[in-house]
Amino acid sequence: MDHAWIDGAPAGLAAAAATAARLLDASRQPLIAGLGADVAGARATVALAQRIGAVVDHMHGDALLRDLDVLREAGAMLTVPSEARVRADTVLLIGPGVSAAESRLSQYLFGAPDKRIFWLCPDADPGRVDKIAVIGRGARELPVLLAALRARVKGRPAGAGPVSVQVLDGLADALKAAKFGVAVWSAANLDALAIEMLCGLVDDLNATTRFSGLPVPAGDNAVGVQQVCGWMMGFPVRTGWGRSYPEHDPWQYRAARLVDSGEADCVLWISAYQAAVPEWSGDPPTIALAPAGAKFARAPRVHIAVGAPGRDHDSVEYHEMLGSFTVMAATSPSEALSVAAAIDSIALHLSTGSAAC
Amino acid sequence: MLTCIKGGHVIDPANGRDGIRDIWMRDGRIVEVPAGGVADETFDASGKIVMAGGIDIHSHIAGWSVNTARLLLPEFRLGTPVRPGSTPLSAAGWPAFEIGCAYAAMGFTFVVEPAVSPHFALHAHLELADIPIIDKAMLAVLGNDDFLLGLMRGKESASAVRDYVAWTLAATQGIGIKVINAGGSASFKENVREFSFDDVVPSYGVTSRQIVKTLQQAVTDLGVPHPLHVHCNNLGIAGNVETALATIAAAEGLPLHLAHLQFYGYGKEGPRGFSSAGARLAEAVNAARSVTIDVGQVMFGQTVTVSLDALRQFRARNQAKPRKWAILDGDANGAGVVPYNYRAADFYNAVQWAVGMELFLLIDDPWRVFFTTDHPNGAPFTTYPEILALLMSRDLRNQWIATLPPEAIAVTTLPSIGREYSLAEIATMTRAAPARLLGLRDRGHLGAGAVADVAVYGNDPDRAKMFRAAALVFKSGALVVRDGMPTQRSFGRALTVRPERDQAIDRRLKAYYDERYGLSDDLIKVPGHAIGRPEPFEMVSCRR
Repeated sequence: MDHAWIDGAPAGLAAAAATAARLLDASRQPLIAGLGADVAGARATVALAQRIGAVVDHMHGDALLRDLDVLREAGAMLTVPSEARVRADTVLLIGPGVSAAESRLSQYLFGAPDKRIFWLCPDADPGRVDKIAVIGRGARELPVLLAALRARVKGRPAGAGPVSVQVLDGLADALKAAKFGVAVWSAANLDALAIEMLCGLVDDLNATTRFSGLPVPAGDNAVGVQQVCGWMMGFPVRTGWGRSYPEHDPWQYRAARLVDSGEADCVLWISAYQAAVPEWSGDPPTIALAPAGAKFARAPRVHIAVGAPGRDHDSVEYHEMLGSFTVMAATSPSEALSVAAAIDSIALHLSTGSAAC
Repeated sequence: MLTCIKGGHVIDPANGRDGIRDIWMRDGRIVEVPAGGVADETFDASGKIVMAGGIDIHSHIAGWSVNTARLLLPEFRLGTPVRPGSTPLSAAGWPAFEIGCAYAAMGFTFVVEPAVSPHFALHAHLELADIPIIDKAMLAVLGNDDFLLGLMRGKESASAVRDYVAWTLAATQGIGIKVINAGGSASFKENVREFSFDDVVPSYGVTSRQIVKTLQQAVTDLGVPHPLHVHCNNLGIAGNVETALATIAAAEGLPLHLAHLQFYGYGKEGPRGFSSAGARLAEAVNAARSVTIDVGQVMFGQTVTVSLDALRQFRARNQAKPRKWAILDGDANGAGVVPYNYRAADFYNAVQWAVGMELFLLIDDPWRVFFTTDHPNGAPFTTYPEILALLMSRDLRNQWIATLPPEAIAVTTLPSIGREYSLAEIATMTRAAPARLLGLRDRGHLGAGAVADVAVYGNDPDRAKMFRAAALVFKSGALVVRDGMPTQRSFGRALTVRPERDQAIDRRLKAYYDERYGLSDDLIKVPGHAIGRPEPFEMVSCRR
């Protein structure tokens, strides 16, 4: 089985790594994107970015920054899934993508009995909803509904909205009667204003009872990568090293914008957990660290096959239920390269900068 | 390779040395003066002060709270290579990498992250592993966790608690145990908003006092060198000196360490109902010989408070400056991140500054008072040079006092205190004493066999300048800093303890995690291979 390709043709790892290094050396603005990697891969990525002056983004950067923007503009009251499962007597699901079928986190929460469950604006047929009270339908109604609900929780008037004031008041009373409530949302499906309104609602509920937020984490170790970026760069994803020190700008350093505008002239695309491929329309020279079967619209200049963290090799990554990092032992160990090892191979051939520590 | 630091004024209180002598190093250790030995490399330290590497026993440098503070406050760290002095936290050593460099520049070679939730231990260790140059360690936090409170509710034996504490230290690779607002976070989850030392945790029927005493006994009996590290209830509240005094009294002759005592030095006197109780507190510490404390000095400027005292941080969130915050009402302690700006013109902040100074100056034994700002809670650790200068000069303190609100100074005793720390006392407080407190026999001194962690300072009468940029720093015998600039970026280790336990507790915890959380207890364990550096841990022996 082949492990590396240059322009779609099988190649040795050393040749592929050398070609990748040449592309990165020649680049005026390299971009490292996708970044579906474990902690070792993320650490190697940031070190590489520092060395070659690259921008760092994650394929779920939009969702990551939506939650983070609410936190760093207003604040948030959060909890972890393991605590919520044990303690929550009331669960408020918000918007699409949070059913037990769609979210392992919700499935885990519902694994413990005796919870009242409400679901605002599921936006789709919620399927089997026994024991779940559905309020509102379309996700577009959500901002108005959340604002009205927050007003009613604080005893303020709310105008006519997608649902009646009686229904809102019933929900407000139920939330206030919760002993320990949890609001669950997925930033992939909400806008930042809705999330901010929701976090405000959660904070207001804490005036008299206990309530916390529980965002469904994006996949591909997005939260883990964000944390690594935090301690290595002092900033989240969408940070660039073009001027040799890290600069964070959520608009300027968004991967798709950099590619579509032509600013990024070489892309290192990383996706080890699944065969995800870039969604942008531009077509800069691309080096892919992705599973052997990844189907790209056009063959990358270099493709080095990597294994899946926690399957092909042991990994350290964010654990969705624990709410922190853990070690995942390889479920079927193989010789497939890790992202960190692939980056190390490329770095051996780089002439830009010097090896970081 | 044989290295000699020649002709410096060596201040090494652990070995009773205070005078001109040479320090010899070989293979990362201090060695006796070799008979007829010729150094492969010699560093001239004449006219300079030579001390062991500094040790900080309480500084929040890694983990969820610290990293959340980074993500919460991008504006505190504008993207400039050398950040201007006017940028808040400009010199705070913000990313992991800068923390190690900034500590080493000041001559510090070992730092303890004091607040790690066991479930977040791997995260903390991953960050610690990316802090270069210095060695580090962390304290695991118990006392709001369901398993311990359940053991106490069930009136289980002291040995069950001991085994659980030992299991926690092994799982998390900690060097000691801390308790933070014992029972306070557990009560907050049941909607309690105020919690004191003799209040009862709902659902468990145990008091904060009982939790502290139970953990103190377990840590002592296990022979863990570092005493139970206590963050008391009622942090930051007027009149909370009573809580601190009650906690000190509860030590009852057994070792107990009270963290950032400054934040508990508040009375209710004066026109604003807020006054310094620093003198009273210092008197109680002086009398309680088994008690040690660190100060948690406040310095003026923008900072961010990070704490696993979720109840306190929740209550403080409305004072956030800038107005944003993160509270994690997570398993056991939870956590909170609340930015705050200490202002010299603010009555309360000025009193807080003075309380810290009073504790430093009125606690008479430098072996029992430790040098901290509770970084970043009282101030960033990069303010240490200024604090050392204040401790060493009454004139300098008087200059500061003259700029502060007189009505604030009036509710303190600070102007009446003439004491000035000597360099030997500074070396005791920041080197010899912390090594002893942590059970590190081969650190904090310059005797033969010690790890060759050495700081050489220019003997500048401007003490802040002297301590801000060490002339030379050696870590394990290697030169790592010259004139305050890092010259080498090797990585140190995390120090851990591993007291013995009855392995029956392992089976019990496996079943507990499975039943309560539907998760494997293995998830929270920190194996060496996960850290991503060779030999990431070093064991400190227990007394038993």
